[in-house]
Amino acid sequence: MRGHGWKWLLCTPALIVLLLAASGPLLIVAVYSFLSPGNMGGVSWEFTLEAWFRVFFRRDIFEPDLVEWNTAHLQVFWRSIWLSLQTTFICAFLGFPTAWFIATRPRLTRTIWLFLITIPFWTNLLIRTFAIQEMIRNNGTINAVLMWTGLIDSPIQMMFTEFAVLLGMAYVFLPLMVLPLYAAMEKMDFSLVEAGYDLYASRLNVLWHVILPQVKPGFIAGSILVFIPAIGAYVTPRILGGGRTMMLGNLIALQFGQGRNWPLGAALALLMLVVVVGALIFYLRVVGRNDEVRRG
Amino acid sequence: MARARFSITQLPGFGLIAIVTFVMLYLPIIILVMFSFNEGVSQSRWEGFSLQWYQAAFNNTQVRDVSLRSLWLAVTASGLATVLATLAALGTTRVGRFPGQTMIYALINQPLMVPEIVTGIALLIFVAAIKVQTGYTGMGYLVAAHTAFCIPFAYLPIRARLETLDHALEAAAADLYASPIQAFRYITLPLMVPGILAGFMLGFVISLDTVVITEFVKSAGQDTLPTYMLGQLRRTVTPEMNAIATLFLALSLVIVTAFFLITRTRGR
Amino acid sequence: MQKEIEITGLNKSFGQGASAFHALSGIDLSIGSGEFFTLLGPSGCGKTTLLRIIAGFEEPSTGVLKINGKEVTGLGPSKRPINTVFQSYALFPHMSVADNIGFGLKMLGKPKSEIKSTVAEMLQLVRMEAMADRLPSEISGGQQQRVALARALAPRPRVLLLDEPLSALDLKLRKEMQSELKRLQAETGITFVFVTHDQEEALTMSDRIAVMSAGEILQLGPPQEIYNAPVNRFVADFIGDTNFLILRVKEIGNGEAVLELPGGRQASARLPESISPPVGSRVTAVIRPEQAEPTAAGQGEMQAVVEAATFFGTDTHLHLLLDDAQGFVLRRQNRPDQPSPAPGTRLGLSFAPGALRVLED
Repeated sequence: MRGHGWKWLLCTPALIVLLLAASGPLLIVAVYSFLSPGNMGGVSWEFTLEAWFRVFFRRDIFEPDLVEWNTAHLQVFWRSIWLSLQTTFICAFLGFPTAWFIATRPRLTRTIWLFLITIPFWTNLLIRTFAIQEMIRNNGTINAVLMWTGLIDSPIQMMFTEFAVLLGMAYVFLPLMVLPLYAAMEKMDFSLVEAGYDLYASRLNVLWHVILPQVKPGFIAGSILVFIPAIGAYVTPRILGGGRTMMLGNLIALQFGQGRNWPLGAALALLMLVVVVGALIFYLRVVGRNDEVRRG
Repeated sequence: MARARFSITQLPGFGLIAIVTFVMLYLPIIILVMFSFNEGVSQSRWEGFSLQWYQAAFNNTQVRDVSLRSLWLAVTASGLATVLATLAALGTTRVGRFPGQTMIYALINQPLMVPEIVTGIALLIFVAAIKVQTGYTGMGYLVAAHTAFCIPFAYLPIRARLETLDHALEAAAADLYASPIQAFRYITLPLMVPGILAGFMLGFVISLDTVVITEFVKSAGQDTLPTYMLGQLRRTVTPEMNAIATLFLALSLVIVTAFFLITRTRGR
Repeated sequence: MQKEIEITGLNKSFGQGASAFHALSGIDLSIGSGEFFTLLGPSGCGKTTLLRIIAGFEEPSTGVLKINGKEVTGLGPSKRPINTVFQSYALFPHMSVADNIGFGLKMLGKPKSEIKSTVAEMLQLVRMEAMADRLPSEISGGQQQRVALARALAPRPRVLLLDEPLSALDLKLRKEMQSELKRLQAETGITFVFVTHDQEEALTMSDRIAVMSAGEILQLGPPQEIYNAPVNRFVADFIGDTNFLILRVKEIGNGEAVLELPGGRQASARLPESISPPVGSRVTAVIRPEQAEPTAAGQGEMQAVVEAATFFGTDTHLHLLLDDAQGFVLRRQNRPDQPSPAPGTRLGLSFAPGALRVLED
């Protein structure tokens, strides 16, 4: 029992599958990003930095020395980041009161409310996006109701706009914000809230000085948990956004479809990975520091 | 004038926002389910109750095919992932620190961290290369991809369960003359069962939901229910899609409820 | 008395090199067959480690451990005729009370009929017949305690180890279980090795006590001896309440020292064999609070002023200030006809010969 060999032995089968079907392929992506595109998709084995160059820049077709920013790509990057930040903000704005509401229910009903938040979390993202599509289509529920009430004469175009993508992402990622916030609130010491009121604090004062500092780790966790899948979103912008409001995920997928520039797609995928890992490291740093403060 | 009772848990406007949030979460789903029972083709005008769209879905051989493939894939991948995750949990939980532990955790959790689209195209590249080399185009790729993706989800509840087990239980078994194998057979394994079940169910739901990875890994004729739906959503959809989605939702709901009940009784 | 457990030169350290933690050092101990033996000490003193070594959960770094004359070092817990009652009880949550009790016999490969009858016997012994089919989660803490006892006794071990088994119970239940444990030990005749940090529990239950601190046994003996003749300051302080007095040595002789008391009178006190302080030096001496008596002012060995009186129901603690400004607590039984003296009252203190003892520091 003294050696560590048996622990590794127990992990080996899982690690083999993970290396084959998760980690290994990522390494191949890294290699592909430095190769030249093949004629019909795929790659030809010639080393080049062209793919990475084309992530940010483009050459004039007629004068290859004329280099300019690839504005189409930059637009997609900016849209991905901006929509993800907005999604995170909306989820926080709706999620904080919701988590608070759940955490302050009596024990029995609390479980039920918590369950109600958990269900969408585990139900299919595709179906939930489909449900949103049904709501905001030109002949969908919202337009039908608005036209029936006479507020509008012709349907409002909501599908294939940034608004649609934002709505869809906020809708599907909301539970990811509520759950960690709730976890933080459940652990919260409510006698501190009482102490705050006892020491003449107003409700806003208590919220700002007593509650928020205590649930901050949950806030950070929730924000990261929403931001990361939002940056990586593919299905929601594909269905609700269409071609004109593409996000980074769709741009990547495009390189493996019609665009057929696998190295460029690989480079874009690695770029996404860098952003996500960066967000994760930021999260681990902040949460790690909070833990140290608490222990100290 | 009577004053409202002061409550320390009340914050202005929070209750209202919470209720609005819950309504917003459920209204689209409820409407989706409702129109699966619509008599007519419209998904915004109610024309009476009917089960015709369910009938249409059941009679659609393509839907039947992709549903069966999805279920088969979910059971296979989640079953495999649960076995692998159980072994890994036994190797990494309650055993103290050992060299390489951080790397094992990183590998196990990798599918949770890396965006699905990145994993998807990575697998696409990898699978394309293997296909060229071997010519194999079977379900093996999907099974491997789904299994890897399910491992972290299966691992989490199993590990959580194992961590709550008192070390003294196995010590007590050894003290009462049980060999290590007997202690595992009579004490550790039976106590792990709720975690293993929860892990399997979580993996099952995850595999059933996965669309991006399947989309990039599948060969021709290997559509699952989600990729089939994704393809159909591009066209004008009929309430048949609502009926399929409703059945899918019902299945998820049953599994999630069971999962919830299993993990809730963990304290016993 | 026949020796059940013999421990010689036992050491245990965790970690290596300079950062090593010495949990046990130089333990020599023998426990007699049928004895109720207690390891007493504050948390972290090594008592649980010693128990775990006897049970076989830990191996000693050096030293010899014999059970019933046979060396058992290297044998796992499942190979030793010893059973343990765990602090957390460690009842198997998925097995009924009866299955828990029968587990050891099942592992030993006993026939079903024998298991059944032994389980029934054990249930009767701990008065849990009605609970046989319940799960551990469905019975109370005190009942879980009884099941843990029955489970450990069922295989009829030579030695039963009990790791703070009463610490999770409330006071009243704890008292009840104390006498229950004594009864079970008397009925079964099994050697009990009991670990506790509760000195009162140790004093009331044990045949012999080993007081431990920082991985060593400081004193080993029957409860009366430990209480009345503590060998050093730690034991005196840990067991019961004690007044510590710093006094000057006037004379030495015959294993006794004549000490100068506050106020100028003299009294003789027993010296521990290990020390011989020079005449004129100061030593630490102790008197138990109940072993001194108040007398009229001017009488007795010492004079004092009452500072405060604290009422405890059965008795009152008088906080006194002696003539040389050392504090002293006197415990006096309450009687309706004797009101406690008001603060400021002067009184004398007398004590029986032998109540005053010198300690090694």
